[in-house]
Amino acid sequence: MPRQLLAAYPQDTARYDEMLAAPFEAREHWRPLFEALAAAPPEQMRQRLTHVQQQIRENGVTYNVYADPRGADRPWELDLLPLIVSAEEWAQIEAAVSQRAALLDRILADIYGEQRLVREGLLPPPLVHGHAGFLRPAHGIAPPGGVHLHFYAADLARSPDGRWWVIADRTQAPSGAGYALENRLIVSRVFPELFRDLRVHHLADFFGTLRDSLAHWAPSGDEAPLIVLLTPGPYNETYFEHAYLARYLGFPLVEGPDLTVRNGRVWLKTVSGLKRVHAILRRLDDDYSDPLELRSDSALGVPGLTQAARLGNVLIANALGSGLLESDALLGYLPLLCERLTGKPLAMPSVATWWCGEPAALEDALEKLSNLVIKSAFPQQRFEAIFGSDLTPVRRKALIAEMRARPYNYVAQEWVQLSQAPVWDRSHPRRLNARVIGLRVFACASPDGYVVMPGGLTRVGSDADMRVLSMQRGGLSKDTWVLSSGPVSTFSLLRRAIGPQDLVRSGANLSSRVVENLFWFGRYAERCDNVARLLRVALSRLIDQSDAQGGPEWTAIWGLCGRVGLLPGEADDEPESAPGEADTEEALLDALFNDERPTTLASNLRQLSGVAFQLRERLSVDNWRTINRLTRNLARARANRVRIGTAFDLLDRTVLSLMTLAGFALDGMTRDQGWRLLSLGRRIERLQFLWLSLRHALQAPPESGLEWLLDLADSIVTYRSRYMARPERLPVFDLLLLDPGNPRSVIFQVAGIRDYIDRLSDQFGPLPEDPLRPMLPLLREMDLAVLLASPEGIEELGTLLDRIASATFGLSDQIALRFFSHVGASRRTLST
Amino acid sequence: MDAARYRVVHETHYTYAAPVLLSQQLAHLRPRTCPWQQCETHRLSFSPPTSEWRERVDYFGNAEVFVVIETPHDELIVRAESRVTVIRHAVDLARTGSPSWESVGTGLHAAADEAALDACRYLFESPHIKATPALAQLTQPAFRPGRPLLEATHALCRAIYRGFEFDPHATTVATPLEEVIARRRGVCQDFAHLAIACLRSLGLAARYVSGYILTVPPPGRPRLVGADASHAWLSVFVPGLGWVDFDPTNDLLPDLQHVTLAWGRDFSDISPLRGVILGGGEQEIDVRVTVEPIDGLPAKSPPSDTTRQPAGG
Repeated sequence: MPRQLLAAYPQDTARYDEMLAAPFEAREHWRPLFEALAAAPPEQMRQRLTHVQQQIRENGVTYNVYADPRGADRPWELDLLPLIVSAEEWAQIEAAVSQRAALLDRILADIYGEQRLVREGLLPPPLVHGHAGFLRPAHGIAPPGGVHLHFYAADLARSPDGRWWVIADRTQAPSGAGYALENRLIVSRVFPELFRDLRVHHLADFFGTLRDSLAHWAPSGDEAPLIVLLTPGPYNETYFEHAYLARYLGFPLVEGPDLTVRNGRVWLKTVSGLKRVHAILRRLDDDYSDPLELRSDSALGVPGLTQAARLGNVLIANALGSGLLESDALLGYLPLLCERLTGKPLAMPSVATWWCGEPAALEDALEKLSNLVIKSAFPQQRFEAIFGSDLTPVRRKALIAEMRARPYNYVAQEWVQLSQAPVWDRSHPRRLNARVIGLRVFACASPDGYVVMPGGLTRVGSDADMRVLSMQRGGLSKDTWVLSSGPVSTFSLLRRAIGPQDLVRSGANLSSRVVENLFWFGRYAERCDNVARLLRVALSRLIDQSDAQGGPEWTAIWGLCGRVGLLPGEADDEPESAPGEADTEEALLDALFNDERPTTLASNLRQLSGVAFQLRERLSVDNWRTINRLTRNLARARANRVRIGTAFDLLDRTVLSLMTLAGFALDGMTRDQGWRLLSLGRRIERLQFLWLSLRHALQAPPESGLEWLLDLADSIVTYRSRYMARPERLPVFDLLLLDPGNPRSVIFQVAGIRDYIDRLSDQFGPLPEDPLRPMLPLLREMDLAVLLASPEGIEELGTLLDRIASATFGLSDQIALRFFSHVGASRRTLST
Repeated sequence: MDAARYRVVHETHYTYAAPVLLSQQLAHLRPRTCPWQQCETHRLSFSPPTSEWRERVDYFGNAEVFVVIETPHDELIVRAESRVTVIRHAVDLARTGSPSWESVGTGLHAAADEAALDACRYLFESPHIKATPALAQLTQPAFRPGRPLLEATHALCRAIYRGFEFDPHATTVATPLEEVIARRRGVCQDFAHLAIACLRSLGLAARYVSGYILTVPPPGRPRLVGADASHAWLSVFVPGLGWVDFDPTNDLLPDLQHVTLAWGRDFSDISPLRGVILGGGEQEIDVRVTVEPIDGLPAKSPPSDTTRQPAGG
């Protein structure tokens, strides 16, 4: 059996093999997995594979790629099989990474303080002054607890002799820990028994330590600290992870414009006013963090943040300027620095690296160029690593000239022959392939020293270049299983003991931006529902030939389609006359699929998913899955150029998914102020659509059919159960306008909006003017039978509907003014 | 006369189309005190008044003031008034020897003493100063092999003075050096950046100096208030001698006519005013500088072949 698994697996390479000790012989700590794979029927493996892919797609795990012309999110790629690390081996890695984090922290403290290392000749001055990441304004800042480096990652690789090497340090805002968590969630469910029996270390403890340590050092006095995760926003390539970690750690996810600095302190702009922020877990680059003192062209940062840090009023993790240590030039100096600063040798070597700014190193490097990789010494230079052996004579000569002219810009590095590990072959039912891997290991500062996450992000090399590991280039990842020699802590962040003093009920830290997005999420969700229902009604009339086109009912439907912008031409314009059948079909399909016109279903769905994207950390995974499914179904149908019958099915499914989404909001969301704003958005949107629908129904002759209107308002069943007759004007209008129990009636929306406004006013003070409130008594006192009896009465009813509509528009503006006004972004002034 | 005293008023006036709700400003407006210059009095004021005021010394030793204005306003006036004494300090180029420029470049990375360590701060690229091959057309004629550093720097500055047109409308703060070189025009800030870029491309340490220059009114005309300009020049590090100032805009060595405000790697480190506002809409800026000699005019300045009036900007 094993032989079949290994049929395509290269066994005689010069690489270290993570799984095999000898040909066809698994290492002891891999044996249970290997045996489980050998025993698993192909069907089960296929299911496991499908499960992984489905989880990734549905959870929306992505890694954005800047180079992608459509800016689309690329699904995260995860291998089925974990990398397994034995307990003994892990103990060494853990000690080495923890030591290294402590060393780097002390180097940062020196460079941003006394600079003795430079003065004593242990660190060449160009490594500090030539690095764009050395932030002069951050010099002299003493961070809380003296800790600069709160969160650190080391990229490790294993050479053929089995030794681990550090190939890079991530000291600014290391990414990958969130992906590692997500990988764990998925892969541990694929192999639940194995995961338990192997006693794999859990990851939650580590994140608990990170959270507690930030809280420990946060300068919050006696207050409970407010810690936020600062992201550059949804266009960052690792935004998924920011949202994921924020949710996991329980930190509000904020963007620069959500924060403001007043009185030397940092505040979060929330719907309930400004809330003091004590600590910032930062995923924004150093120099973008403060447009006042750092990069002035940054729109992502928080003006005055450096000043707040200088005053000691906020903990920034990692401290501003920590990106300075992300330089390969530093690697060669670490052994001596380690001896000098800690009195102990560096436990794990860095890959052999020479900074060419040293004349002897330059000469050495040029001599051995074919065996070395040439890299930039400083990240601002941004050129790709050059493998000496790849160079043509011409390019080699040019490189040498450039290196001689500016030697301090270059480092020369040996390259580690990466180890290989098995990956599951997706195209073959039972076969393992081998790919090169590297391991990213994470550490966080704690009052008891650096703690290393027992696991990590295993990155898998692509086929194309077995020497380079990079997520930017597109690569596979793996879960990392660190085996425990003792019992495993099953602590979970989700089940932490919370005392009565920790209870939070109000969601007071909702940022103004989030609230605005929730409001629009409500509006777009409802708008999509309205548009989908209208299209369904129109298509059903088109399919059902018995209902003659050109009749009064069709005129009303077609007119409404034009009014909500589904037909080409100006929205708000009534179409002149109904076109022929073929044109009608084309027009309706266009209204469904064309995403270049702003008011079609496709465009509205895109808006919805865009707003949902901004809210990703606040929406449950189920919400996100539903929205993903909606957009995917539509895209697939469009790609298949479906015709009218299939389009009808698609609309059925779309309406169903949108109702599911509405159900989540109703049944799954806490009734906090954010929920109320979302619901307000829904009610306001529904009211506007009801107004338009009722208006068009009123314009049709009194005897024309109203089935379509009940259909639109999802009220057919109610109507039939009450009247068991064909729809007539008085009962239909009563049901859709005045029935307080019908969730799709006008009065139901108006009453609901009033209640939400009251609850919001309880907390935030009254809105200056609620234009909708006077409408409620008017509706309650309305005598519909009298109004509908005469043309004058019908006109009066129409005017009343118009007044309700204009009050609704006014209310929407009031809400924006009252709750979203903090959302404005800062700009820089002209420099002198 | 070996000293000059000045009263300097630097007024910056912002007007906004819409109210500014919050304004944070960072100012480098206090003249430095250094061996050849004493800042005797200095007053900085903001209108509308500030709600927060913090002072510190920045990484380059300049006084930096951080203020916050929370009163909504559509007009902001920043006024700095200083009294400064400057003593004669320009080196006599004809009589001052200096090491060859190559020997200086190779020695700097070793950073043997505090002076050289300080010079290391100004050796590398900075936000406004990037290496570009186009610099070679300026450095090659001036930096001939073995030439003493001071002589070569002087030649470089003279080449910029002669080869480039002073044109206040040609560039903005954001104009890259390549464009300045291609169009052969710019203002003092561009010329200072250009000379610094040339020096750094050769491995030499050079820093950017902001300040003021006394302009001489045409004969028979009174000195106009606000007509003097804020100015910029550069300083090159010469081992043994220290930092030596050059003014490529006027082809002279700054002396009694120059008042030093601040120095850094380039303009971005020490812009006199830099701010971030909430609100404001369209904005306009008007800057007026008056440099007024307190005890009459200083003695005529050294260069004899100046064809232009000394110019700021």
